[in-house]
Amino acid sequence: MRRYLLFSLILPLLAVAQDTIAPTTGETVGPPRGVNHGDYNVIQQWETGYRYSLVGGDVGKYRSDVNFRNGIRLLNSSLSANSRDGHGKYFDEIVLNTQGLGNDPYESAMLRVQKNRLYRYDMQWRLNDYFNPGLATAGGLHFANLQQRWQDHELVMFPQSKIKLRGGYSRHKEDGPALTTINLFDNLRGDIFNLFSNVKREFNAYRIGADVDALGFRLTVLRTWEFYKEDTPYSLGAPPSGVNTTGAGTLTSFNRAAPIHGSTPAWLVALSTERKHFAFNGRFTNSAGRRNFIQNESAIGTGLSGAANRLVITYGDARRPVTTGDVNLTFFATNRITITNNTSLDNRRMDGNSVYQQFDFASLTFVTYNFQFLGIRRIINSTDVHVRATKKVDLFGGYRFSNREIRSIQSVADPLTPFSNELTTQQNTVHAGIAGVNWTIHSALRLHLEAELGRNDNPFYPISERNYHTLDARLQYRKRSLTASTGYKQNYNNNSVSLANYSTHSRNYFGNFSWAARSWISLDTGYSRLHLDSAGGIQFFAGAPRATLSQGTSVYISNIHAANLGVRLVLKKADIYAGYNITRDTGDGRPGRLTTGTLDALFYNAQTYPLSFQTPMLRLTLPVTARLKWNAGFQYYGYHEEFGLNFGLQNYHAATGYTSLLWAF
Amino acid sequence: MPDSAPRIRSFRTILLLSLALLAPAAAVPQTTAPPQTTAPLQTTAATPGGFVGSVTCRTCHPDVWQNFYKNPHYKSVASGKEPPEKTGCEGCHGAGAAHVAARGGKTTIPHAYSLMQPEQILENCLSCHAKDVSRANIRRSAHTEANVVCSNCHSIHKSQAPKYLLAAAQQKDLCYQCHATQRAQFEMPSKHRVNEGVVQCSDCHNPHGAFAATWRTGQRPRLVNQASNNEETCIKCHQDKRGPFVFEHAATRVDGCEACHLPHGSMNSKLLRRPNTFTVCLECHNGAGSFGRQANGVLLQSSQHNMLDPRFQNCTNCHVRIHGSNADQNFLR
Repeated sequence: MRRYLLFSLILPLLAVAQDTIAPTTGETVGPPRGVNHGDYNVIQQWETGYRYSLVGGDVGKYRSDVNFRNGIRLLNSSLSANSRDGHGKYFDEIVLNTQGLGNDPYESAMLRVQKNRLYRYDMQWRLNDYFNPGLATAGGLHFANLQQRWQDHELVMFPQSKIKLRGGYSRHKEDGPALTTINLFDNLRGDIFNLFSNVKREFNAYRIGADVDALGFRLTVLRTWEFYKEDTPYSLGAPPSGVNTTGAGTLTSFNRAAPIHGSTPAWLVALSTERKHFAFNGRFTNSAGRRNFIQNESAIGTGLSGAANRLVITYGDARRPVTTGDVNLTFFATNRITITNNTSLDNRRMDGNSVYQQFDFASLTFVTYNFQFLGIRRIINSTDVHVRATKKVDLFGGYRFSNREIRSIQSVADPLTPFSNELTTQQNTVHAGIAGVNWTIHSALRLHLEAELGRNDNPFYPISERNYHTLDARLQYRKRSLTASTGYKQNYNNNSVSLANYSTHSRNYFGNFSWAARSWISLDTGYSRLHLDSAGGIQFFAGAPRATLSQGTSVYISNIHAANLGVRLVLKKADIYAGYNITRDTGDGRPGRLTTGTLDALFYNAQTYPLSFQTPMLRLTLPVTARLKWNAGFQYYGYHEEFGLNFGLQNYHAATGYTSLLWAF
Repeated sequence: MPDSAPRIRSFRTILLLSLALLAPAAAVPQTTAPPQTTAPLQTTAATPGGFVGSVTCRTCHPDVWQNFYKNPHYKSVASGKEPPEKTGCEGCHGAGAAHVAARGGKTTIPHAYSLMQPEQILENCLSCHAKDVSRANIRRSAHTEANVVCSNCHSIHKSQAPKYLLAAAQQKDLCYQCHATQRAQFEMPSKHRVNEGVVQCSDCHNPHGAFAATWRTGQRPRLVNQASNNEETCIKCHQDKRGPFVFEHAATRVDGCEACHLPHGSMNSKLLRRPNTFTVCLECHNGAGSFGRQANGVLLQSSQHNMLDPRFQNCTNCHVRIHGSNADQNFLR
């Protein structure tokens, strides 16, 4: 009996795949378990243990990609209490799940408390240790070691009544040490200096609203206030010379204060109804983003022309009102035909008041700039038709129209000078059509085909979609515990105008196979290939001894092969999981990099970036008693660049694992 | 068989538990006597619509009923105030009189989900769940067009996740079943921490369909949520990139963050589309064509920038505020 009870308690836990790195399982609603206390059924599960990691190679890159470290953790916990008759005194349900609490780089907690008809409260808390050496983008000069924390609270009163009240609060905080850079004292030929910053960013949002059901309509009104502030101080360590060895600058003193405080009040109003032959829903939103700022920056040192003493004062505000409206109309023409039309309007304007003054005390000169205006207005209309031709075949198609106007005002000189602003207005229109078919070939075999063709007459950027098409094909077989699927997805874009041709070809292939052959063995495996090639005409300045305008082609080729394999064995006295993931970019197949320093080498070396990232893993779970399990897991991370970028290889390998005890009640 | 005795005892326990649960049902008046070939069913009198009540259903489906008090749909039962067509088993499956009269069988259930067409499942669920703002676009969503409907992702009776009744223990596992490409991207070295549990797919996506995106041209992406109801979803977490800025990097407002970044995962640092910063920038900043704010090409880099000099190959070393600046139109501070 004891063994049977043990098995019945453990089985639901084993049914959920545990990750070595994230052992959270979540509670199942399957077979009844737990303990009855009064009118409540309570289930608990607590997993605590020790996590370790041994890292070799580039630790900074490891922390950027994986970041698990040593220490004791509450790896996972879950608690649920349910009222058995749905009439609890203070609550009918409590669900609490946590993961990684203690000191994991990724921690989270989710709580739900509710009492039927009276209230529902949801909370989510998350933490992310963000570490990035910034090597690839800034040669290591943009280092970040931040901690990001989020929390969301949502309370709904009278959730089952015709009038619901809701309120919420969200908070996001980001802080920690970081490095950044400043270019001084000449924008074009100046040197770069490293600055230390103690990042302090905080975001708070408050929400209040109501849902009202009346006369077959639901009206939703939500009022939101969002507040953001950034009070990051910047400072200079020891007076440094510039980062560039060829630069002539030094910096002996630097101070910057740049607080930004902003708010975004917003409205949401939505109305919807469902009738026999049609459905309607509409949404209106307005948000009025605003940020006030001041920046006071002084720098003393030497530049290209000797001693430099510069003061920059900037102050003002920036605003971005955004108004959006959407209307959806669905007609149920017959039992077999559904027609949906959507019209959306979006209007945003970015402007504000600001003065940018840059004083040069050495030359007693100053420069002033004003804000730049950017306005975007879009109208979108789409119509989709879904036709169930037969019980096994249905067809769908649609036409989408989008018109966008972009208006820009930029100061090209001192705004005090007449006619110094350049005003530009441009429009682009997109026509796109989609068509597809869903075919149930057999009760367990389904095919989905979809294609989209689009034309954009005036894209805003060289890499934007202009003449594009997509294809999507999926075939899925699903029967009982076996699922197999395969698919292909293609996205081709050609954006060509004079002097600048840009084309990109993306082709993705995948295949998945998942089978729980017996109650004690299951298999999950998959393979994806992601191909991307792009070619774009570019212009740039380069050359020696003097840079001249050059034209060339930027080519990028990526061929990523990703495979995963997982096998689970649920034996009488042990649960074993073995898995292997590998992601490998073979690039364009070249053997290595060219010697740098020439124009050919510069772009040749940027055309491809072959590397591999693999993570084999193994987990073992042994029942100790009816309520206790012992777990151990191991996961290896191997990151290997074939020939790196300009700054060298960032290869690393890491052996991580954990051992833990899990109590289940 | 050493295990036989515990099994028998366990069976007795289940039997006793079942009887205990069924006891209240026995107190309910029974309907007309069924054929006497087997034991009589415990049923309540059918209403004019053919509704027999959940008490009748649990007579034959104790396994479903036993744990149903943990199910969000139990609220309609606990309430006791809902009309028969909106509560309990028949709230979803339809009136059960014919099913009872036939002594079972899937075909006698008005709404047997395993036999229903996808659009029927969708309509059935939407009869209660249609009016939420988050589902306003469900009929034009990419999932609906592909016949991926409620029961593909939610499991009402065998859910492994009590919240939202997901058909998989973790949301990501559910999404990965179809989105293998995204699964591969989240296994890449640089990625959002979905597998680690910090980020969930639904933080950025609305699987029930989203309003037209307020960036790009609104055609795609089609299942992406919006922050503050009308801004790009990325700024929900990346508030420092949100602005508004005096000097906006127009690309982020017009074409969105995806102009430079791959949101799911990338082999390149910082989720960039290219391994080198200068190739990301130069593909747009080439001065050619009719692009950009002045429609005479996106600003060409200065002639002082000699690309052979390594200092100019990491553009963001000087242009540190590349997402937008309040203090410099070239994003230098």
